[in-house]
Amino acid sequence: MKNIFFCFCFLIVVKAQSQDNKAYDMTVNGVKVIVVPSGNEIVQVDLVIKGGVQNYSADKAGIERLALTALTECGTLKDDKNSFKNKLDEVDAQVYGSAGKDASHFQLNCIKSDFEKVWPSYVDALTVPRFDAKEFQRIKDEAINSLRRMESNPDASLQRMAMQVAFNGMDYAKFSSGTIESIQKISLQETKDYYKSLLTRSRIFIVVVGDVSKEDLQTRISALAAKIPQGKPFVLKRVSYVPQASTFVAKPKENATNYIMGVSSAPHPNTKEYYPATLASGIFYDKMFLEVRTNNGLSYAPSAYFSFGATPYSVMYVTTKDPDKYIAVSRNLVDKIKKEGFASDEVKNMKNTYATRQYYNNETNASLCFMVANSEVVQGDWHKAFTLKEDLHPVTPADVNQVFNKYIGNFTWVYQGDTTKVTPTLFTQKQTPPIAKDKKAF
Amino acid sequence: MKKIFLMLGVAAAISSSAQPRLPKDYHWQKLDNGLEVVVIENHKVPLATIEIAVKNGAYTEGAEYSGLSHLFEHMFFKANKDYPDQAKFLKRTQELGAIWNGTTGTERVNYFFTFDKDSLLGGLKFMNAAIRYPIYREEDMQKERPVVDGEFQRAESDPGFQLWIESNRKVWGDLFTRKNPIGDHQIINTASPEKMMTIKDKYYVPNNSLLVICGDVNPQQAFSYAKNIFGDWKPADADPQIKYPIPDFAPITKTEYFIKESSIAQTPMIMMTWQGPDFRNDSIGTVAADVFSKILSLNSSKWQQALIDKGLATSVNVSYQTSRYVGPITINIVPLPAKMKECYLEVMNQVSQFDKDDYFTDAELARAKEGLKRQQVRQTEKPSSLASQLTYWWCSTSLNYLTDYYTAMDKVSRQDIQNYVKRYIAGKPYVAGMIINSDMNKQYNPGEYFKN
Repeated sequence: MKNIFFCFCFLIVVKAQSQDNKAYDMTVNGVKVIVVPSGNEIVQVDLVIKGGVQNYSADKAGIERLALTALTECGTLKDDKNSFKNKLDEVDAQVYGSAGKDASHFQLNCIKSDFEKVWPSYVDALTVPRFDAKEFQRIKDEAINSLRRMESNPDASLQRMAMQVAFNGMDYAKFSSGTIESIQKISLQETKDYYKSLLTRSRIFIVVVGDVSKEDLQTRISALAAKIPQGKPFVLKRVSYVPQASTFVAKPKENATNYIMGVSSAPHPNTKEYYPATLASGIFYDKMFLEVRTNNGLSYAPSAYFSFGATPYSVMYVTTKDPDKYIAVSRNLVDKIKKEGFASDEVKNMKNTYATRQYYNNETNASLCFMVANSEVVQGDWHKAFTLKEDLHPVTPADVNQVFNKYIGNFTWVYQGDTTKVTPTLFTQKQTPPIAKDKKAF
Repeated sequence: MKKIFLMLGVAAAISSSAQPRLPKDYHWQKLDNGLEVVVIENHKVPLATIEIAVKNGAYTEGAEYSGLSHLFEHMFFKANKDYPDQAKFLKRTQELGAIWNGTTGTERVNYFFTFDKDSLLGGLKFMNAAIRYPIYREEDMQKERPVVDGEFQRAESDPGFQLWIESNRKVWGDLFTRKNPIGDHQIINTASPEKMMTIKDKYYVPNNSLLVICGDVNPQQAFSYAKNIFGDWKPADADPQIKYPIPDFAPITKTEYFIKESSIAQTPMIMMTWQGPDFRNDSIGTVAADVFSKILSLNSSKWQQALIDKGLATSVNVSYQTSRYVGPITINIVPLPAKMKECYLEVMNQVSQFDKDDYFTDAELARAKEGLKRQQVRQTEKPSSLASQLTYWWCSTSLNYLTDYYTAMDKVSRQDIQNYVKRYIAGKPYVAGMIINSDMNKQYNPGEYFKN
């Protein structure tokens, strides 16, 4: 019934484990290791490489993802691709890489009793990848086909367009998955060289969620780290996004409905404004749902949220047959919030919702691992993954109103669908358009 | 081994009052009004999840009701006697700090809320008001119809869905509505409060529903709450599943191919569908189907080696959906456009070998089973998801089926898999569809070979 966009996009860090098994960190052979005991039968390991899209130029977009894919899809010096993958299949273990805006991840997920057996493959993939030429061509072909598939998905296509238009000239305009043009040009040798320069102790940290002893981890990770060069110090750049005026770009597309996304600014997650913004984000979503969907029947999937990364931003999103009415309703809602502010019970209830969400996101090792890694990257402190409830507690309605008024301003709008159905000026004009009472929604 | 499956089938028929077999820490009671209640005790986090599942969904829909189980599910969240409009309903979810949702599938409609464990009583009362005392106003329906239709339009904007719906029209023929939860635009946009009441009266009764209370709860207290709150829910005179029988799906009589053009499809996709086993008639086949699908997902399998290892496709997934009424067997392929013909011909070559003695090795069979066992560990990792897993099996199979599944899976033999393939796939009619954009269609001309 309710769409999942909110849950999916909302990168909120949350609480952690029971009081008995506290998380800790340690430095092993120059690598920071964060360990979270889980009390279950699963082990999740994430080697995080900081930097994301800051690590390469636009014409090389996709190179980091290709390199990480090659680690598991091209085999290692000890095992060719098939031998490597068959070993993992023996115990249904998952070893996989992914690349994002702020960091990349190379992960292992297995049953605890299989950890001993799977760990060597994980280490080999990281430290002695084969980069086989035939397999590399295969993963390039697949990457290009996946980009085409992504472009066929209306939400993925809209998201890419929004990032490209809003962050034009900035790092966030680059796609970790690359473009068809960039992937086609990337060679095996430059991918090998790139990976060699990327994997340095100065740029990585490791998160382990699972019941593995400290001594065992020290031994394993010490041996792993010994094979990784120190490298140059790395600091993630933090850049603000503040659109100077509202803009609108449309792309005609034969979708069955119209897809719209607006991007505005947001506070940095390592500042004190992060917590009021977190609450504002949740309440803004609820209000948008009520106004756009319940009261006006304009959309199945209205959404609004803040995204907190190295370049934080806020988003308004909808799919609708009546874009003009949508923008009038949503802009009037923003005006109303700015004028009246959020109510104290709304702030209180949203704190309750985040308390639930803390535990809810704490239920699997993979989601807990993601939260810890994300806190370390974007907030600069993994402990924040465990203290959200306490950190939200002192936030007042005035704090929430202040961040909302400060950051929700001009929007960079993108649109895919029937361009004859939309009036761009309603999105860009300074004056909030009135809501047409006589126009049917569908 | 056969005995186990026989037991599963028989148990489904006689379980109305018998205590079902259940996994550890699962507890079951049936109230006097027929409402089954399962409490799953799991203290991993201090949360409680409550879910009600109803045996409703597409399979209960004739053409005139196509999509209305789904609209009904949306109306659940609109208004009821305690929360007379959606603003008040949503406000209450916020006070509870609840994470909530509902889904409508082919054979199940379910509603679920997760909140702090101390809100269990309040949450159950909230659920009770919504499921038993909904209010259907014409004005609310006017607003919700385009919302539901908007969900439909979002799906229609995806080429994968376009391919699915076109394929399934052909697979299920005149009874397609009974496999299509999203429904029909016209029926959705003309739905009335009277039709909502008809659905409610037919299916939203305790003797057609299952309540699950899951998480950091005390079973005794949870059962007590359930009885006090839902005990006076009036049952239907007769079991709705017997009173409103589901017509039999006609088999596919001849293999059919189609190519659909879509400007949104930036890369082609292929879907092949057979009618597979179901819980009522071939319980062992449903489990053998899962094992066979798992074998084909292994890197070492002939299937993966011929298609992925050779670089002919980005993905080649074979799946079976466990169902009470004829589950579909589906192959989804994303070929590399330039190798589409080679890919298709290889798919057909592989399918023609599915029933051969040497199509998979004993080691692969063992590996698939080991994988499925580990999958079980992962599936039970998230406490708040256990309720939805349970209700799926309750609607489409039985609680015994859920409990015995992995024991049964472990006993699946090579012969069982061959029986499954021979009965449902090898030489059997199927529907094959492709979605592709106009330029690629002209460039690669798949119509030359993608046909009967």
